[in-house]
Amino acid sequence: MAKDDRVRILVGTRKGAYVVEGDKRRSKWKVGPMVHEGSDVYHVAADPRHPGDLYAAVNSWFFGPTLWRSRNWGKAWKETGTPLTPLQKDRKPTTGEPNPGNPVARVLNNMWHIEPGLASEPNTLYVGADPHVIFRSKDLGTSWEPIDAINDHPAKKDWSPGAGGACLHTILVDPRDARRLYVGLSAVGTFRSDDGGASWKATNKGVETPFLPEKFPETGQCVHHVAMDSADPDTFYRQDHGGMYVSHDRMEKWTRIGKSLGDDFGFGVASPASAPGRAYFVRLDGMARVTGEGHFQVHEWNDKTRTWRKLLSPTAFPGNFGVQREGIATDNLDPAGIYVGTTTGQLFVSPNGGKRWTVVPFGFPAIHSVSVANPSV
Amino acid sequence: MLEVHLDSWLRGFGPRGHETIEADSVEHLLDALEGRYPRLRFKLRDESGALRRYVRVFVDGTDVSGTTGVGTPLTGARTIDILHSIAGG
Repeated sequence: MAKDDRVRILVGTRKGAYVVEGDKRRSKWKVGPMVHEGSDVYHVAADPRHPGDLYAAVNSWFFGPTLWRSRNWGKAWKETGTPLTPLQKDRKPTTGEPNPGNPVARVLNNMWHIEPGLASEPNTLYVGADPHVIFRSKDLGTSWEPIDAINDHPAKKDWSPGAGGACLHTILVDPRDARRLYVGLSAVGTFRSDDGGASWKATNKGVETPFLPEKFPETGQCVHHVAMDSADPDTFYRQDHGGMYVSHDRMEKWTRIGKSLGDDFGFGVASPASAPGRAYFVRLDGMARVTGEGHFQVHEWNDKTRTWRKLLSPTAFPGNFGVQREGIATDNLDPAGIYVGTTTGQLFVSPNGGKRWTVVPFGFPAIHSVSVANPSV
Repeated sequence: MLEVHLDSWLRGFGPRGHETIEADSVEHLLDALEGRYPRLRFKLRDESGALRRYVRVFVDGTDVSGTTGVGTPLTGARTIDILHSIAGG
C-alpha cells in the first residue's frame, strides 16, 4: 500500500462502520460509505505496521461475531480467518465449566477490541471478546490461539459481566517488551502479564468498587477503559466505574485523580503521542450516563502538574451526550487531534490538542468506537 | 430429499436458490448445508451447536426453533425454511 499522509477516523456504530478521511489540516472531513451495514461494529482498528490494513469487529444480532479486514483503507472488506469466524475449522466453547449462578455465557458473543502487536512482531494481532476471552494471531488473523490463562482462569466462575456483557475490552502491549501485556475486563478489572500471557496478575490495587460491599477487592472492579502514556509505558490512565485513576508503576497501584471533578464517572480515555503526561476523559453523569453539565465537554489531565483543564466552552455544544468506552481517540500528530464519537451520532474533532473543536457534518448512527489510522508517511 | 429454502440474507453466504439435501435431523441438515457452503458456519449456530437467537427453522411450515431445535427429526419432512425472526430497531 502506498504511503498516505491523510488522517482517517475509523468509526464503529450501532448500524455499521465508516472511514472518515481528513485533509492535511484536519479541518475538512469526507465521510465514506457505511460498511458492515446493519451490524454493531464495536471497534475498527488500523494496523500501523501495514499501512492500509484495517480490522473491524462486526457483531451481528443475526450472524454472530465476525472479524473483517480491509487492505485498502476500508474501500473493500473481506471476512478473515479467526476463531471468531466461520473459516476456523474447530471453534469450540471458549471457557471452562459453566456456572449456573453466573450469567457469563460459554460461547463467543461480541468482539470488543482489536489490538495490533508491536512492530517487532509484524504479524501479531490480539482480539478481546465476550465472554472474558482474548485470542492471539501470529499470522495477521489467518489462525488464532486462545490465551488460556485468561480464558480458562480458575476464578472465572466468579467473574461477573458489566452492563455491556462479559467484555474483555482493553488490550495494551508494552512497546519495550512484547511479552508484557495488559488487559481490562468488565466487571473484573485489569491484569498484567510479564510472560506473553502465560500468567496474569490482577492489578487493581487502589481502585474502589462502590457497587460492592468490599470497597477495595483484588478483582471485581468495573474498568471501563485504560490508556497507556505515550512516553512512559509504565504510566496508565484509567476510566473506571469507580472514577478516574492513574498508575505510574505498571498498574501495581492506582491513585484516584478524578475526585476534584465531583462525579468522575465516564467510559473513554485517550492519551496522545505528541503530549506525554496528558490524558483526555469525557466525564459523564454517573446515573444518566451522559454529559451532565448540559453541554459537551472534554477534561484534560496534566500528570506533571496534577491538574485538570476543561477544553470546551459550555456554550460550544449544548446537550447531553453519551460516549462509550472506545468513543475517544487521539492521533499521533503534533498538535494532537482529539476525536470523540457520541451515542447520538455526533463526531467531535479537535485538530490542535483541544483548542478548537468542530463537529463532522454528518449524522452517524449511535457511535460505539472511534479510532485513528495515522498518516503512513 | 428435503427442499431447503434460505432467506435473502443467508443466501449471501450460501445457495442462491433452493437446495436439495438428505438428512434425518435438523442438526444433520445444517451440517450438510454448512459443508457445502462453509461461510454459513457459525452464522446459523454458535459453537455449542445451538441455533442463534434470531434464526428460525421451519419444518413443513412449523417453527421448531424454540422447541425441539436442532434435534428435530426430519423423517417424512419435505420442506425446510431457514429464516431470521423479526428483530431490530
